[in-house]
Amino acid sequence: MRSTSKKIAFAFFLSFLLFSCQKEKHVVSKITAKTIAIDTSLTSVEAITKTIAPFKKEMIKEINTKISFTPKKIIRNDGDLESSLGNLIADLSYERANPTFNKETGNDIDFAMFNYGGIRAGIQAGNITNKHAFELMPFDNMFVVLELTGDKMEELISYLIKHKTAHPLSKHVQLTITKNEYNLFINNKKFDKKKNYFVLTTDYLQSGGDNMVFFKNPKNIYKQDYKMRDAIVDYFKSKDTIKPVLDNRFKRK
Amino acid sequence: MERRKFIQQTAAVASLTAIGGLTLPSFAKKKKHITILHTNDTHSHVEPFEASHYKYANKGGVARRATLVENVRKENPNTLLLDAGDIFQGTPYFNYFGGELEFKLMSMLKYDLATIGNHDFDNSIEGLYKQLPHANFNFVSANYDFKNTVLDTHVKPYQIFMKDGIKIGVFGLGIKLEGLVNPKMFKETKYYDPIDVSQDMSRILKEEKQCDLVICLSHLGYYSRRNPTEISDLNLAKATKNIDLIIGGHSHTFLPKPTIVKNIDNQNMLVNQVGCYGINVGRIDFYFDEEKNMTSKGKSIIV
Repeated sequence: MRSTSKKIAFAFFLSFLLFSCQKEKHVVSKITAKTIAIDTSLTSVEAITKTIAPFKKEMIKEINTKISFTPKKIIRNDGDLESSLGNLIADLSYERANPTFNKETGNDIDFAMFNYGGIRAGIQAGNITNKHAFELMPFDNMFVVLELTGDKMEELISYLIKHKTAHPLSKHVQLTITKNEYNLFINNKKFDKKKNYFVLTTDYLQSGGDNMVFFKNPKNIYKQDYKMRDAIVDYFKSKDTIKPVLDNRFKRK
Repeated sequence: MERRKFIQQTAAVASLTAIGGLTLPSFAKKKKHITILHTNDTHSHVEPFEASHYKYANKGGVARRATLVENVRKENPNTLLLDAGDIFQGTPYFNYFGGELEFKLMSMLKYDLATIGNHDFDNSIEGLYKQLPHANFNFVSANYDFKNTVLDTHVKPYQIFMKDGIKIGVFGLGIKLEGLVNPKMFKETKYYDPIDVSQDMSRILKEEKQCDLVICLSHLGYYSRRNPTEISDLNLAKATKNIDLIIGGHSHTFLPKPTIVKNIDNQNMLVNQVGCYGINVGRIDFYFDEEKNMTSKGKSIIV
């Protein structure tokens, strides 16, 4: 009996608590909204600028650190269907990415291909710094290796012929286009439509960037855990001097 | 019974007074007012864009954003500052310092809450975990399960704020990581369906927790024209109820004003997103009536 009355008392106490804690309900009656531009009309809070300052100093120091050297300028418009910069980017990407791919799959990458629009800036003669790598590749594109069938390879070739643009191709490609036909050698072997090819490119182009639709549905996609910008930095760091080349890997007759 | 009668009578007096044009002090109570400020996809853009930038010359910058936030908080102390993810990646500040500066600055601006974007995994889940001590604000995600990762217990599904007697529930949603982020980066993070999770969350926040305002911080993206049926803020809004506002990210959508969407109960709610890189800050002001004092049904949305 006693315990029952205790229970009742406790229940009463609980409901009292609940009731007294129940807050006033509020209902939205009006909403207004605006998008505010952050621009020069707003002053800067000094404490924030001061907090950024030491980071900025270290970042600038880091970014201007010399990592290599080039005796000649390396640019993207010094050839017809190739460029010293495009050749460098494609070759260094191959050089940095192939060992891992080979270790993982037992195959070698056949060649590397990127897009002309993806190379953002040239390098002047002199020291090469981290800044150049960021300017060359401001995006965080990752390498992917795609296994392409002969049909997709033919689409890729048609694309190159149609656009006649110096899209970066690695030195493993020898492509000559004439008025009505083309000649393609990959690693000194004539292009074989019955064969599949391993092509190194980026996740951005794989997903259809720059209309490179032939990369969209490959037989296999091998994602590489390697950013293109990191490959550029790693390559520069591994060479004292960069020797840009133009070797007619892609030309018209 | 007696109490109800009293309320009815009071309401009748109140409306009479209003007609008579008299204002008695007890009825002239100021409306409660909550301000929401929000950013998304700031992507390590700590400093303003340079004057020579082709698209965003002199735009953005955290030091200027701080002035705006200070001004708004002075105007209305009942302000929440929220971020919808992708705080990391985009400038060398992230590459060299791993997000430390971004979190420090957001803490100085007194961010109240953020959700996690896919790029916040760019230094892997450990990279994000390592920077958490620099953040004086919490992260919420209701559809990522971090149980088997270092983030376990560090990220809650939702957070509730009390501001001027108004109860505000905010929950987070992240995008499907598989196929978007290298699995080596997100490790054993599990992803759950955003619509299912949101239905749960809105029920918990609105019905169980009795929130006056329910906000979803989403990194799903505004809407995909290419894949219209793919989960997005607009699709989420239509398929759920009891959410007042979805603050979005991921798609870098510059909305000039929030989109008004009819939810599954045919109620108007808002979806907003303010582009990227800290170029804009979104501001949404909610004004409240006490339920018993409601003079008219519904709400007016002026956007």
